Amino acid sequence: MHLLEVDNLTKSFGGLTAIKNVSFHVDEGEMVGIIGPNGAGKTTLFNLLSGFLEPDSGNVTFKGENINGLAPYRIVNKGIARTFQVVRPFRHLPVIANVMVALKSPRGARKIEWIKTMERKAAEILEDVGLSELMLEPAGNVGHGDLKRLEIAKALATEPDLLMLDEPFGGLNPLETDYLTKSLMRMHLDEPSRGVLIVEHKLYALMKMVERVIVLHMGEKIAEGKPEEIAKNEKVIEVYMGKAT
Amino acid sequence: MVIGHLRRAYSSFAAHVFDIPPRFMAFLFLMILLLVPATGLGPYYLSIVIYANVMAILAASWDLLVGRTGQISLGHAIFFGIGGYGSALLFKYYGLSIWVTIPIAVLIGSLAALLLGFPCLRVKGPYLALVTMAFPLIISSTVSWGPLVDIFGGELGIRGLPGFFPFLPILQQRAAEYYFTLVLLFASSVLMYKTANSKTGIVFMSILDDELASKACGINVTRYKLLSFMISGLFGALAGCVQANLLKVANPPMFDISISFLPIIVTFLGGIGTIYGPIVGAYIYAILDRYVLTDLLPRLLRDNFQVMSLPSWYNFAKLLVFTLIVLILVIKWPRGVSRFTTDKLEDLEEARDLDERGPRIWKTYKKKKSSTPT
Repeated sequence: MHLLEVDNLTKSFGGLTAIKNVSFHVDEGEMVGIIGPNGAGKTTLFNLLSGFLEPDSGNVTFKGENINGLAPYRIVNKGIARTFQVVRPFRHLPVIANVMVALKSPRGARKIEWIKTMERKAAEILEDVGLSELMLEPAGNVGHGDLKRLEIAKALATEPDLLMLDEPFGGLNPLETDYLTKSLMRMHLDEPSRGVLIVEHKLYALMKMVERVIVLHMGEKIAEGKPEEIAKNEKVIEVYMGKAT
Repeated sequence: MVIGHLRRAYSSFAAHVFDIPPRFMAFLFLMILLLVPATGLGPYYLSIVIYANVMAILAASWDLLVGRTGQISLGHAIFFGIGGYGSALLFKYYGLSIWVTIPIAVLIGSLAALLLGFPCLRVKGPYLALVTMAFPLIISSTVSWGPLVDIFGGELGIRGLPGFFPFLPILQQRAAEYYFTLVLLFASSVLMYKTANSKTGIVFMSILDDELASKACGINVTRYKLLSFMISGLFGALAGCVQANLLKVANPPMFDISISFLPIIVTFLGGIGTIYGPIVGAYIYAILDRYVLTDLLPRLLRDNFQVMSLPSWYNFAKLLVFTLIVLILVIKWPRGVSRFTTDKLEDLEEARDLDERGPRIWKTYKKKKSSTPT
């Protein structure tokens, strides 16, 4: 049984079909990348998986359970956490309180024991992503690169079985990208059963991390395979570079 | 140079003298308020402060819902009125003591908030504001409706409530009511402040900041919004039933739109989203409205300009003056009076920090100078 199984998912907005018969799966402990040019439907796919949009047809099965049309917070509590492409921090709250919001959810609160208070748990998560210095700073004052990491901390706080990252490297400089890649790899090693799904434009950083890549174009899946195979795939090159004449 | 020196001396003095922690400041505020009846104020002036106490509870409950959870309500009078009518009806039909009707009325208010919350929370932002505005109008016309006059007493409302301390002489009654409302205000504001700064309060704040992100954190947003509505309704109803029992009447004006707008004005005066701000705002409002514009100004006009009777448009002019004052305050101090003060205090603290750092820098500078051979 796969961790996440997507079966013939279709979603259209008016006349535009954003996602057309997309099927794929993610196994436990697997890191899968989703790439594709702008407007390929990557973010729509994420919204469908996390419950912010409802699919027209098709099925999403998570741990053998159909999660189609469930409310977003229910999906999070089933074990799928996502980040947003455009950062969405709680600007009035301190960084640590941002994480505590996620710890207040039923799934996040599961692991909080009497000894390990919510504050300590939040502090540990922030240390994992390297934000412990900014713990008490209001999130509105924190820079973009740190907010990207805060997004990941918020998602991790719910202890997801599947982590979905929507452009985690967007707007980061090479140094920050490198740092985040390393901490993501470390988290992946720490939690070997967690599946990770990454949408990313920075192919260089992505290809080093993932085990499998899915390529979307105009809402359709055009290729799937190991990073090395995808890099050589003619159809993918054509989509990205245009047709060789 | 002399002026600069004086200014530095003043700021250093101010930083050391005004360095008061907020908790102590709240304590000081309470102490001053406790001494108010001892100054020998007349019953009318005491009633102004009593009014401020009650309105502070209402405004703080509005602030918890709007300033902390971001659910804009333009119909807070509904909780106020339900509290008042609930208490009055319980007295009218069951003859219950005031100390029994108040807790029950408060619970009724909270339950009403829960029931209203269900339809209200299907809409967001300005639409929510409009929906909440409609409810008090509906209830107000229901209670003043002819066929129901036997139950709700029509336009006159339900009269003849016993009041809080009927066994005391009138002057002591006022003082006793004052202390009672003050204790209520203190207890409910501490409760609301603690709620707003608890972990649940953090979730409320997250809904205000970004509802979608809050959902993505696995928060059942609807449940927390309803919780916020219920807490807010509870304290709104408390204010309502205290007011009804003070005035010994529950009537349709309790659902009036002016009661709905009052917490908004008061909260913006004091500072939205602070919980303690509306309390400060309520005192400013009560003194401005009930003392300066109703009592002091007419008296000054009478004594100095022989204006014996005020023109009929005076009440409207009063409203206009008040609107202008609020407008200026909102433009000048958009974060409210209370937060303006706390900001000033923080600046002073910073100045003191600089002051402390000053000599140290000076010392290192001196050390460097002495160590370098000349």
